Amino acid sequence: MSSATTTVAPQAAAPPGALRAAWQRPAARKLLLLGAVTAVLAPFAAARWGSGAWPSELAVSLDGPLGRANDWIIDNRDSHWLFLHFFGHISNAIITAVRTVYVVLLALGWAGVTAGASLLAWRLAGVRAGATALASFAVCGLLGMWVPTMRTLALMIVAVAASVAVGALLGLAAGLSDRMFRGLRPVLDTMQALPAFAYLLPVVLVFGIGVAPAVLATVVYAAPPMARLTALGLRGTDQGVLEAVDSLGATGRQRLLTARLPLARRELLLGVNQTIMMALSMAVIASVIGADGLGDRVYQSLSTVDVGAALTAGIPIVLLAIVLDRTTAGRGSWAGVPRGGTGGHDQPRRRTRTATTWAAAIAATVALGRLAGTTWPETWTVAIATPVNEAKDWMVQHLYSGIPGIGGTADWAAQYTGWVLDPLRDGLQALPWWGALALVAALAWLIGTWRTALTAVLSLAAIGVLGRWEPAMDTLSQVLAAVAVTLVLGFAVAVPAARSPRVDRLLRPVLDVFQTMPQFVYLIPVVALFGIGRAPAAAAAIVYALPAVVRIVSQGLRQADPAALESARSLGATGGQQLRQVQFPLARAELLLAVNQAVVLVLSVVIIGALVGGGALGYEVVFGLAQGDLATGLMAGTAIACLGLMLDRVTQPTKEANR
Amino acid sequence: MRKRTTWTVVAAAALLATATGCGAADMTRQSSPYANAAGDGKTVTLSVQSWVGARANTAVAKYLLEKELGYRVDTVQVDEVPAWDALSQGRVDALMEDWGHPDQEKRYVADKKTVTDAGELGVTGHIGWWVPKYFADAHPDVLDWKNLDKYAAQLRTPESGSKGQLLDGSPSYVTNDKALVKNLKLDYQVVFAGSEAAQITQLKQFAKEKKPFLTYWYEPQWLFNQVPMVEVKLPEYTDACAEKGAADPATVDCAYPTTPLKKYLNTEFAKKGGKAARLLKNFHWSKADQNEVAQMIAEDRLPADEAAKRWVQRHPDVWRAWVR
Amino acid sequence: MPAADTVAAPVFSVRNLWKVFGPKAARVPDSELAGLSPEELRERTGCTVAVRDVSFDVRKGECFVVMGLSGSGKSTLVRCLTRLIEPTSGTIAIDGEDVCGMDKGALRDLRRHRAAMVFQHFGLLPHRSVLDNVAYGLEIQGVAKAERRARAAEMVQKVGLAGMEARRPAQLSGGQQQRVGLARALAADPEVLLFDEPFSALDPLIRRDMQEEVVRLHRDEGRTMVFITHDLSEALRVGDRIALMRGGRVVQCGTPEEIVGSPADDYVRDFVRDVPREQVLTVRRAMRPVRSSGEAENGPALNPATTVADAIEAVARTGSPARVVDSGRCLGIVDFKSLLSIVAGLDRVQPLGKAAA
Repeated sequence: MSSATTTVAPQAAAPPGALRAAWQRPAARKLLLLGAVTAVLAPFAAARWGSGAWPSELAVSLDGPLGRANDWIIDNRDSHWLFLHFFGHISNAIITAVRTVYVVLLALGWAGVTAGASLLAWRLAGVRAGATALASFAVCGLLGMWVPTMRTLALMIVAVAASVAVGALLGLAAGLSDRMFRGLRPVLDTMQALPAFAYLLPVVLVFGIGVAPAVLATVVYAAPPMARLTALGLRGTDQGVLEAVDSLGATGRQRLLTARLPLARRELLLGVNQTIMMALSMAVIASVIGADGLGDRVYQSLSTVDVGAALTAGIPIVLLAIVLDRTTAGRGSWAGVPRGGTGGHDQPRRRTRTATTWAAAIAATVALGRLAGTTWPETWTVAIATPVNEAKDWMVQHLYSGIPGIGGTADWAAQYTGWVLDPLRDGLQALPWWGALALVAALAWLIGTWRTALTAVLSLAAIGVLGRWEPAMDTLSQVLAAVAVTLVLGFAVAVPAARSPRVDRLLRPVLDVFQTMPQFVYLIPVVALFGIGRAPAAAAAIVYALPAVVRIVSQGLRQADPAALESARSLGATGGQQLRQVQFPLARAELLLAVNQAVVLVLSVVIIGALVGGGALGYEVVFGLAQGDLATGLMAGTAIACLGLMLDRVTQPTKEANR
Repeated sequence: MRKRTTWTVVAAAALLATATGCGAADMTRQSSPYANAAGDGKTVTLSVQSWVGARANTAVAKYLLEKELGYRVDTVQVDEVPAWDALSQGRVDALMEDWGHPDQEKRYVADKKTVTDAGELGVTGHIGWWVPKYFADAHPDVLDWKNLDKYAAQLRTPESGSKGQLLDGSPSYVTNDKALVKNLKLDYQVVFAGSEAAQITQLKQFAKEKKPFLTYWYEPQWLFNQVPMVEVKLPEYTDACAEKGAADPATVDCAYPTTPLKKYLNTEFAKKGGKAARLLKNFHWSKADQNEVAQMIAEDRLPADEAAKRWVQRHPDVWRAWVR
Repeated sequence: MPAADTVAAPVFSVRNLWKVFGPKAARVPDSELAGLSPEELRERTGCTVAVRDVSFDVRKGECFVVMGLSGSGKSTLVRCLTRLIEPTSGTIAIDGEDVCGMDKGALRDLRRHRAAMVFQHFGLLPHRSVLDNVAYGLEIQGVAKAERRARAAEMVQKVGLAGMEARRPAQLSGGQQQRVGLARALAADPEVLLFDEPFSALDPLIRRDMQEEVVRLHRDEGRTMVFITHDLSEALRVGDRIALMRGGRVVQCGTPEEIVGSPADDYVRDFVRDVPREQVLTVRRAMRPVRSSGEAENGPALNPATTVADAIEAVARTGSPARVVDSGRCLGIVDFKSLLSIVAGLDRVQPLGKAAA
């Protein structure tokens, strides 16, 4: 990235005249100030602690205390009152809930669940969603994934219900109280920037491995969007309407129930949709801590590089994501359109009729389910694993290397690792620690306030203090390289999409599907294409982040003021000039947002890339989980959170601009 | 209005307290929500570890349980240490191959009694450091750990930097390698491939190019048939060293033990699992048997079920005794 | 509610009302700070004064207009009446009852039954039908569903929206939406209607219609109204009395004729400069004393409330001066000269007594 040049320049001595000129510009002023501070502190720091990686004198080893805490928890999990009377009940409630849902799903049988889900999707989002649901569940059964699908579904239902409840309550509090909102917002913002993996360790520490911690991690991960959107929805209510409601003498409760909540309906439904998608994403990743179900099958297959089996479990995940998204997003748009002709007097009658229909439908579904049996009949399954693996072997033989002219995927992977990742990693690891801090401070300060800079620097320093400097730099190198590729590709796709409505029309459904898919699924095809290592992790990250970048950039470019564009055209600007001189500058906020999103999304996948040989921080989390060595895992998890926070702050333009 | 709200909250809290029984809830005894969901005791959940040998055990056990005894069998991937947790919670009913986890064994078998020892698998496992045969033939003295430093330069890779590379596999395997390298003062860096599959890929790659390597490996393992390897002698395994290692794993400075691999069952399942539990307790086969199945799965790319079927057809003499 | 007694006790009685926005706003009224200019005040305290020491009465049955340019504090003032905005100091009484001292329940009661408001941007609930929007106030009062729907349907009829009950606000034009807002306010049958620039967001033609609608309502039902506007012609059209505000202060309060005929200061004079005077001023103002007894007997008789424009027509038709007659007594004479001097604005130079509220 070009960041290196930005900070070196101001540190070079400039002639006084130029200095004074530079002083006039705020960005230059910040850099000069920072340069001066660095110039004073750096030699001292370098002399005292050296100029390599983070000095060990400044690191605090938490292995001992954390290990002891972990041992204490394990020893006391079945005896201490805190676990018996508090955590135990939470865990018990979750397990009971998941079990109940799971037993109900099994009791409904494959036919019942399929029919019920299709009916529900049809009712909520129309015929097409219903048909999608029908086909999807049938495919899950056909692939022989019925039981894992039901397990994932059971976990999802409980986790989503809890996330929506928790999120809505928090959102309600933040929507109604300013102080709560001010306190909650930075927390929620930060939580959304952190990779999913960072949430796993703390719950495992308390609850061990199993379904209860998996549900809890999912709730913690999926509740923030609900809370955020609820709060924003409530706060965004038209003040004029609220004043009118007040002027009619409404009590606080009437005001909330009859005006604020109904008016925030669109945001609430969007919140539910986002929460469901995030929950699915996490429920799959949580297989690492015992979530079972589909994610577990993928995890199982990835560790043996069995692409066929991974795909068999991956397809149902994708289908589940599409069904859930179509059903709930459809619901959102349906609610947004005001429906004419809801005459008052015939409502009760219609309601009874609907209720009767529903009762009949449910009864039929249950009967169908009982008749058809609990799990999908084994003879109706299609084993795709073997043909897929054969195809993959063919690919390995023919596409991996030695294709004249373009090499092969394995060659690309090797070259990407050898020529991009390795030098970048070595460079970052060779960077003096104080230099890295100064660099981060400069970037964050340029783009935000001194407060963002401070947060970013402290986060980076925390990584050093935890003794995770080297793996963090490794992860960082993977992130930076993947972000660079993502941005290049993203712009290459977004610019034509912004200019041609036809390209945009073609692209939109593809982006829609890609954006709904859980991160975990992307790991499957890249293993088939690139094998194991850092390159496939990067490829997965790029594919995952690309849709968001394309969407944000093309939207930003398209929103450029038509009047400004017209005037540029009237002055005889070429297409390229329009793009460079009008559209890019006008879309600056969106472009920065695209960078921010790219960084956040890439980081989240690079971390889970540890499951396909990505190494670094993510690997330490997996290692900690696999070995029951939670001290290592927790420190790596904390370092991941710090890295996420740092990257988010460094790329986050002034908050007011885009929130 | 406010008063009513307060009362609602109090009532809800009271209800919650009553519902949860107000008593103690021991999460270590809470079973998985998926355990025995059908409620008829005819479902068995087996844990699978990621190495092929373990998958061979599970495949054969699954095949016999389904085809001979009419059970439904579910498999769950769990790493070794978490598998003990899962076993204790009843999330899995059986662990078919354990390489020795004294801590967990003490906690769950001896103290909590949620896990029951189900006897030996019949296979003896051994972990060690290995070099390829072509390298050992060329440099016989590499087989003593004291000479390893001499070859560090030859074993250097981009991942290991200036030191020699000691390749480890999955993060979940039993390993003391970091401590060994440190305590034996070797000029080596432990590099984790990330998974066994990745490790095998790399080993095969090295073998194809006849490059030297030093790797953490174990037997029984079918890969020996393809890539012949020779074990490097580490300081001898002694009881004293084992005791020291049990107290603080970072102090280990001797070779890995030779472990008779063991099976463990969830206690509840062991008591009430009927024929299934009996079969799993009786399950006992040889290294050759396991390798035969493992080879079919890993090398011939057969689905695990198919591999198990072929072995079962060929060796009725071995398994007949288990299902009696 | 018959408006029989025009000099009855005031409905709203506002005395020394202040509204100051900013930190520690309460210290500003009645202190030396009150004398500062807005800029100085903001610099010294960070406060802005929206309403500055305002006093007036709204009499029963009248339409009281508060007029001023944007930022003059008029919208804040009307919100203070039902404490949608909490006043900083001063007193407000409705039918002699202290509004500022009301507890939450009493205040809710006031808003529910006694004073209803119509807003510039309508403030309709977009997720409800027209009928449910109109019934909303009654719903809040806890009126049973059947009854409130019946009453709402009646109000919808009254404002001329019959047949549109099932539509959503988004499906209506601006004028129709404001009719819904009006119907919602009327549904509660309030003692006072408060209008906050109700027609500013509408097209000129529709605005005209709506103004006539309000005048008609006022005439038919005699309901007391407080009407906020920034449009002078609207104020003159609907208002019985007008309070003109500037910088938070009431600079003049009086009948349209007093405002136009006797501006209290240059600001007001500037404000009313372009008003067609003959349409606002009456013959009472144009007449001169009777010079001869003959004049008191002949010519057409005019009511003192006749506008100058109408008098010109009468005088032009007969060709002779006209008499201004009140209950049989001749008050004065208007002739070409006196009428034209009004049109020409010559009466402005005459020293005049200040019009009292």
